[in-house]
Amino acid sequence: MQKKGLLGQLIQNLCCLPGVGPKTAQRMAFHLFQRDRNGAKLLAETLLQAIDKIGYCRQCRTLTEDSLCDICADSSRDSSVVCIVESPADAWVIEQAAIFKGHYFVLHGRLSPLGGIGPDELGLDLLEQRLRTGAIKELILATNSTVEGEATAYFIGELAGKHQVLASRIAHGVPMGGELEFIDSGTLSHAFNGRKEV
Amino acid sequence: MTETAVYLQPAFILQQRKFKETSLIIDALTRDFGRVSLVAKGVRKARSKTAGLLQPFIPLTMSYLGKTELKTLTDVEIIPPFVQLQGIAIYCGFYINELVCRFLHQYDPHPDVFAHYRKCLSCLSDTSKIETALRTFELDLMDAVGYGLQLEYDFHNQKINPLKKYHFSVEQGLIEALDGQFSGKTLQALKLRDFTDAQVLVEAKILMRTAITGHLQGKPLKSRAFIKNIIKDYKNE
Repeated sequence: MQKKGLLGQLIQNLCCLPGVGPKTAQRMAFHLFQRDRNGAKLLAETLLQAIDKIGYCRQCRTLTEDSLCDICADSSRDSSVVCIVESPADAWVIEQAAIFKGHYFVLHGRLSPLGGIGPDELGLDLLEQRLRTGAIKELILATNSTVEGEATAYFIGELAGKHQVLASRIAHGVPMGGELEFIDSGTLSHAFNGRKEV
Repeated sequence: MTETAVYLQPAFILQQRKFKETSLIIDALTRDFGRVSLVAKGVRKARSKTAGLLQPFIPLTMSYLGKTELKTLTDVEIIPPFVQLQGIAIYCGFYINELVCRFLHQYDPHPDVFAHYRKCLSCLSDTSKIETALRTFELDLMDAVGYGLQLEYDFHNQKINPLKKYHFSVEQGLIEALDGQFSGKTLQALKLRDFTDAQVLVEAKILMRTAITGHLQGKPLKSRAFIKNIIKDYKNE
């Protein structure tokens, strides 16, 4: 469906956002022009600036407008512990929970043999360079608990082993406030395999 | 087309990809209906109970219905007990998934392949048996889809002699040759799926690679290149 004119083009371009279909895009476009022209201008300017300036941190590959992100630049954080995550959103969530005081490394994906994503696409050469310097003491593998996430964690674990760096995998199991009755058997089996002495 | 409903069908997930905000499109190998495409609606939500189950290599029962080629998944359950693949076996699992995807057509029932697939997965969990499990599955899969290797007779209809050597090509099969890559002994062992001899495993790997590559019609396996890349990376340092 090709709409004519700038308005049509705008509606189509808005569809590139996740969760936005033609109807939502249409509503957004009309809202911006009927009610909030200033907001639209601001949005456009910020977007342009952001696209221009935001790039990857040279140390952890997260999104940042500087060459080194705030977390990597913060000298009070422990640089010898590095948490491996799949996306900047994951790092963000861990950061909000305020449970981790080390550095991150963002993969921007996961190893996917059938999708053709290999170690090079995930910037693992950069991680390996850092491992080689000997500054890292521990890697925390916080990739998703999917088969591909596991495959990625295993590969990075082997990489760490090669450089005599300790690698640990985050625990999977019963969520907080979770009742056993409602937990699926896959999660339960993980919980039992990873049980801890009390 | 009439609506079909299938209940509690044993199945494995071969491949899955994200679809819309919260759904998945699944490529599954079922026991009685072959390879089917399913859409699992709304499973990628925070409190989804099925998201953890919809992973490759886990024995499942699936119920689905639909009128079109893409069916809708209605229920999924796990068949305990199951072994989770670890480490290098995960990559091998991806490899056999890709093989099944490439060699089985959709909706072509192959209960035999399903049985071989299940057996291969359980063997993969034992690291020392990985090579044996892969070669056995490759041979069985080729037999099941009609590309089976003639391991008893050569191109000239002579019985395979354990003391002689043979060349292999996809079009002609085995041809006796003094400088052949494959010994008659290996070929006889392959017929019996006997991999106790280390030499048999080495030769079988080359033979199966030639046979499979020949049937792929020039489109290489992604997982094979990937595993090669990983092993290369690993051995480099």
